[in-house]
Amino acid sequence: MPFPSSSSADWLGPLRRLVADGWLRESSVDAWLGALRGHWRLNRTFARVRSLRWVAADMLAVRLKANRNWRGARPGQAVLVYGERNGVRLARCYSLTAVRGRNLELAIKRQPGGRFAEQLIDTLCPGDVLELGAPGGDLRWPQEAQGGVLLLAAGSGVTALYGLLNEALENGWRQPVWLLHAVRRREQRAFVPELQALMARYPNLQVRWLISGEPAGEGELRGRLQAEHLRELPAHSLLACGPHGFVQTALALWNAEPRAGTAQWEAFSPPPAGGEEGGATVRLDFARSGLRATGDSQRSLLEQAEAHGLKPKHGCRQGVCTECTCQLLEGRVRDLRSGREISEPGQPLRICVSAPLGDVRIDL
Amino acid sequence: MRTDRELTPAELEAFGAELDALRERTLADLGEADARYIRRVRGAVRLCCTAGRVLLMFGWFPPTWLLGTLLLGLGKILENMELGHNVMHGQYDWMNDPEFNGQRYEWDIVGPSDFWRVTHNHLHHTYTNVIGKDDDIGYGLLRLFPEQRWKPFYRRQVLWATLQALLFQYAVAVQHVKLDKYFKGRIGKDEVQPLLRQMNAKILRQWAKDYLFFPLLALLIGANALAVLTGNLVANLMRNLWTFAVIFCGHFTEKAAVFPPEVLENESRGHWYLRQLRGSSNLEGGPLFHILTGNLSHQIEHHLYPDLPARRYAEMAREVRQIAARYGQEYNTGRMSRQIATVFRRIWVYRKPQAV
Repeated sequence: MPFPSSSSADWLGPLRRLVADGWLRESSVDAWLGALRGHWRLNRTFARVRSLRWVAADMLAVRLKANRNWRGARPGQAVLVYGERNGVRLARCYSLTAVRGRNLELAIKRQPGGRFAEQLIDTLCPGDVLELGAPGGDLRWPQEAQGGVLLLAAGSGVTALYGLLNEALENGWRQPVWLLHAVRRREQRAFVPELQALMARYPNLQVRWLISGEPAGEGELRGRLQAEHLRELPAHSLLACGPHGFVQTALALWNAEPRAGTAQWEAFSPPPAGGEEGGATVRLDFARSGLRATGDSQRSLLEQAEAHGLKPKHGCRQGVCTECTCQLLEGRVRDLRSGREISEPGQPLRICVSAPLGDVRIDL
Repeated sequence: MRTDRELTPAELEAFGAELDALRERTLADLGEADARYIRRVRGAVRLCCTAGRVLLMFGWFPPTWLLGTLLLGLGKILENMELGHNVMHGQYDWMNDPEFNGQRYEWDIVGPSDFWRVTHNHLHHTYTNVIGKDDDIGYGLLRLFPEQRWKPFYRRQVLWATLQALLFQYAVAVQHVKLDKYFKGRIGKDEVQPLLRQMNAKILRQWAKDYLFFPLLALLIGANALAVLTGNLVANLMRNLWTFAVIFCGHFTEKAAVFPPEVLENESRGHWYLRQLRGSSNLEGGPLFHILTGNLSHQIEHHLYPDLPARRYAEMAREVRQIAARYGQEYNTGRMSRQIATVFRRIWVYRKPQAV
């Protein structure tokens, strides 16, 4: 074995310098590294799939080993997974259910009609190599809570909360904790054997499933999230995760009464878009400049950035020379020449001919 | 003389709309085939350059030296034209793959990519063939159109053109530094120095690679360093001459039109398209020829759609020709031998002063 495999990747240091100073092309170095070991890369984070297992009828848990560019993460955080669809490199966010050094587990839920998860779930095999983005997310276990913790999850939201729960129990959390997982069909209940084992091992844990679309099984609840579900569980702190609508409901029910502890939440879908017609005010977030401003959906993003004092790189101002290309991070934009809409996060757009449709965040 | 029909404003708008529609249809069709294609081009570049360099390690033995130099030259040509030039135009930005990001791609010539992005993507493609604004008309060295004001310097332009052809990658590199303006006193040292520094750094890296690293590697393994160095030099020369020839056929053929700066005021989209069509000329040939020219053989389609993957130009050309015919516009195309002869003729004729 010509290269050390257990020490840190310092031997890549000189190569990194050569690439940064323009002596070597990063893609060429990555091609060589990838040929040596599938998930080796100079700067990008890639991970090898170690195993797959179904944790629900429509949810696949994937265990991965990341390369040494992985900077670490906490369970409950989410990480971008990249995949190519029809020539385009797309990315989607998945929550980490377990993190042990460079060994990660995340869970992917089917999205019927979607462009990403379906193909990933249907084609992923052990040994495959996936590119990962930087982890993000602020959910933390409320260690300071004097009393119980309530976890409310719907659909894939359970992945983030399961990760946090597992880690907290392992680290000695002995106060009451309740997990309520809302799903439409019984077969969508996720991590059932794992959660039952946790309940057997940790008596302070109680897990209930809330089935909305079909008759509930034994010990399960029927219907959608309601105030009575919270009334029965006198928790100090709340963690809510799931589609936007569910999270809004959970927070509303939680805040209906005075609470002593904190409420944390993460919405897995964006709020419904609305009111982009007629030059409505939109929020502009220029991520790299650290500038947040208000704008409209009529003028180009270049004009609006300049109106707020920024000096973005640009050229022809006609959408031809591509000098003003930046990445769309969040939101939707409209091409002023063709009317075509761009809404895929991470896609490039030309700010001189793009106007925001609703709130946007761009890498400028 | 060109035989274009003058278009009414309404016709011009319809003309623009038809070309826009072709653009949108092509954009909607981009996908896996285009991604696979550019990766194959990148693979071909790597293969040619690696094979060429390996063969050169076998020394002066004519079969390996000639084949090695040829392969390396071919690799450099492909990297410059079908890969580098097209990627830097943002033609593959939609893939969202950092390897093919137009803003970050650095190509294998002495000219910094950043300079090219400004002089070519921005300036040349915006001011195409506008006298006084498009620096590519003659590159400050040659008088190719009677509309360019004559100076005694142009008398020797056959010599200047020859030197430019031999050293074309350096001509490309230095264009952005605008040394002529500096010597005339119109721009200051503080503007020129950082550009010179960036250019010199790139030249250094390229020389170190082709004329230092690989010859030294040859020495280390007991191969002939001089054979390697000469092979690299000739490969670079091959690429210089070929790119010069193809690029000069793009806008300097007999029927290429130039425009006065007034056309830029409130130029409509239809007229922008028209100017690109009239100012560009195509070359005829087979699929391999098109790839070797980086599809600049479809200069017209490239100028109409600089940010669409160049492999699409051949199929789009069929429709562009029809649209041009319907609107009474001449479609300037021909075999390379004929087109380049008209370019040489321009270099010869306009070296002397002429009434416009």
